[in-house]
Amino acid sequence: MAMKRTVAIVEDEPAIRDNYAAAFTREGYVVRTYPNRSQAMTAFASRLPDLAVIDISLEDEPEGGFELCRQLRSLSAELPIIFLTARDSELDAVSGLRLGADDFLTKDLSLAHLIARVNALFRRVEALRRPTEATQIIRRGSLTLDSEKMQVEWNGQVVLLSLTEFWIVYALARHPGHVKNRQQLMDAANVVLDDNTITSHVKRIRRKFQTIDEKFDGVQTVYGMGYRWVD
Amino acid sequence: MSIRLKLLLLGLATLVLPWAGCRYAREMETALREGEQSSLQSVAQSIAASLQGRTDLLYRHPLPTPSTDESPTNEGVSPKTEDKPSPYDVRPALLSSQPFLDGYVEEWPQNKVAWHYYTHGQHRFGLISGVFERMLYVMLDVQDEHLVYDTPGASALDPSTFGDRIWIGFDGPDGRQHQVFIAATGPGTVTARRIESGEYGQLTAVTETRIVGALQPTSQGYRLEMRIPLSMLSEHFGVLIDDRNQRGADPVSYGTLRSDDLHTVGRLIVASPELPLYLKQFSQSGVRIAVSAPEGRLLAQTDALAVPSALAPERGILTQFYRRFVDRPGARRIIDSKADIYDREHQQVIGSLQVSQTEDRWLVLRDRALTHMLNLTLGISSVAVIATFIFAASLAVRLSRLRTASESALTRDGVVTTTFPETAASDELGDVARGFSTLLHRLNEYTGYLRTLAGKLAHEIRTPLTIVRSSLENLESEGVSSSARVYLDRARQGSERLNGILVAMGAATRVEEAISNADRVRFDLVPVVKAAADSYRIAFPQRTFATDTPDAPIVIDGAPDLIVQMLDKLVDNAVDFSPTGAQIVLRARLELEAAVVEVDNPGPPLDPSIRDRLFESLWQSRSGDSDDSRPHFGLGLYIVRLIAEFHNGKAEANSLPGDTGARFTVHLAR
Repeated sequence: MAMKRTVAIVEDEPAIRDNYAAAFTREGYVVRTYPNRSQAMTAFASRLPDLAVIDISLEDEPEGGFELCRQLRSLSAELPIIFLTARDSELDAVSGLRLGADDFLTKDLSLAHLIARVNALFRRVEALRRPTEATQIIRRGSLTLDSEKMQVEWNGQVVLLSLTEFWIVYALARHPGHVKNRQQLMDAANVVLDDNTITSHVKRIRRKFQTIDEKFDGVQTVYGMGYRWVD
Repeated sequence: MSIRLKLLLLGLATLVLPWAGCRYAREMETALREGEQSSLQSVAQSIAASLQGRTDLLYRHPLPTPSTDESPTNEGVSPKTEDKPSPYDVRPALLSSQPFLDGYVEEWPQNKVAWHYYTHGQHRFGLISGVFERMLYVMLDVQDEHLVYDTPGASALDPSTFGDRIWIGFDGPDGRQHQVFIAATGPGTVTARRIESGEYGQLTAVTETRIVGALQPTSQGYRLEMRIPLSMLSEHFGVLIDDRNQRGADPVSYGTLRSDDLHTVGRLIVASPELPLYLKQFSQSGVRIAVSAPEGRLLAQTDALAVPSALAPERGILTQFYRRFVDRPGARRIIDSKADIYDREHQQVIGSLQVSQTEDRWLVLRDRALTHMLNLTLGISSVAVIATFIFAASLAVRLSRLRTASESALTRDGVVTTTFPETAASDELGDVARGFSTLLHRLNEYTGYLRTLAGKLAHEIRTPLTIVRSSLENLESEGVSSSARVYLDRARQGSERLNGILVAMGAATRVEEAISNADRVRFDLVPVVKAAADSYRIAFPQRTFATDTPDAPIVIDGAPDLIVQMLDKLVDNAVDFSPTGAQIVLRARLELEAAVVEVDNPGPPLDPSIRDRLFESLWQSRSGDSDDSRPHFGLGLYIVRLIAEFHNGKAEANSLPGDTGARFTVHLAR
């Protein structure tokens, strides 16, 4: 058994913080909690955690989580970071900020789902360190999808997708031409989101591909039904 | 009554100005007239006083003492004293024009009283006399059944040739009695002749050329009109008529001369020639001074009543128009004043003086003032009325603008318009508008607060809810007894429901944000509708779906995702309100300015009273029979409206023809 992984939770609400800590501890993680940005940064400066779960709003800083994310990313490029927001409506704004976070989640996500994501991110970190196994690779024309590393390449270039986005792309690209409705995509991404959030996720996925290839049209809308992947 | 009308009436109230002006002018005129009257009276009295006792100035000869008139008879012959007034006196009045000597009465005063009648048995004649420019005019109206003319060409002295003959007797300036006679040989001009005895006693008839006249027969007799210079006459005068029934017969003689010697009985009472000259010194323009005898006969006058022509042009149309309002109907245009002239002892009235004045002299002055005043006041009134009306109109416009703004300030959706007209105005309306504006701002803040309240509340509740849920999950992981698990499950279900409520509470805000952030593309509506219908066939196997779309594409600018979302909501609604197996129709068509999407469903018709409110946020009337346990906030149709508005269109709901169901129509701008 490898050394226990350390998860840092930065959350100003003590009850939530402690509940999360308890859940992660139960899963076998070492948990460190911080109520605000300054305490967190002081600790991170001396020792980095293996993963950070950060609340956007921290005590008297409504968007202190963003700043913390930026500082943390400057310390480590690979460290997985998960953002927690209180509001769905903030998701778009947050994900548009290109903070380099690996996922954005709302707080009404269940603990089980949260832990699943954390586990997945850790798997990805490990997978990125190992040489790629061919079985995990799906190729669809210009698309190369590594389900182990949870990483997507288009025309050989890495597309920086969040975990949720990766799972959506994965669900679509696994069966090209098959229509996936919103509920199926939500299930695949292990999230509970409303329809509009799925729509904006898809929109963002397209945009990320299009920064690499302007002519990208791999994700098609099937009106009234959902989306499908076309080669 | 509108403000406009009220203010107009108020403006019309200024018309009291010209009315008061007219009243004032009228009173001024009355006062002026009274003043003029009294000054005229004093003028009359002073002239009369100057004439007091001046019988010599009034009459050519001393006046007889007045006494009661006796009916004149031929027998009653001579009065005892010459100083007594006698019915035989001839009192000629001043004539206003020169009579034309033709034997007709037309030029004479048409006044029965002016005639004096003398009766002798069955015989009767009337006499009227007058003076004009130093001439005595006499008209005789003789009743005579048989008018007998003299034999033409015969000697005037041959009694057998005599017809009707009229004698005129008078005393001349020399004091001697004179007689002339007039004998006509036919109608027309007649001559007077006197009989003179020659050196040897022979008599000759000499024509008296200074006396001229004319004779005309009438139905009852004849008229004789004649003129005698006053210079021939002295104090006495009379006429005698020799009436013959046939030529040469014995005449019936009667008249104001003694029939035996033809001497005068009555006197000639005429005005002194000095009198007009005397009166002339008092004469002035616009004033007439007249002196009459006590019995009313005009003796002399100076007449200058004519309107001064220099002032006449002032009487314009406007003045005449104004006059109609000011002048009392039937008002006299001449004022006059009378004063009696007494004898020296102030006992007896010897004449009367009348001073008359036309109003015109000062009427013109009044008219000028009146015209100026009325022009001014009417001008002021009309300016006031127009100004009031304009003011009222602008006020009404501003008020209606305020009313319109206040009516539309708060829409049904609780959207408050905070821009308000008239707030820059500095008057009371501006105050009202500013008050409204402040009210609206506060209302807006309040509705804004209300609008965000749900979202804020949801956010605030979410944190404790997260605490509860994560605690429950941890508790579950701790492993609890099966009896406690029941409660754990209930607690979790409760928290899930709470979470659902929170999601619904924030849904409107999320939807609004999502819609406003949507991207626009140009796309064909037809395949979108068709694809959506295909998916509904799968989603709702208990209903059938028909599409009604044109062959040609309907290209619009918009977000196809949103259109599908809109169709989802409309179809959800249609499914809720239609019976199992019903056919729902999805229709797309092109209108001139818009693309139209319609969803028809059979079922209950739409209550018209809720039509407009259907698309409001959180409106929930048509609760379907769905047993959805999720809290339903009626957002579906609100989302439809938001999406329609995103496409610059509008959504409306109607009953199907025949009330067989409902039709929801969405217009999308092209």
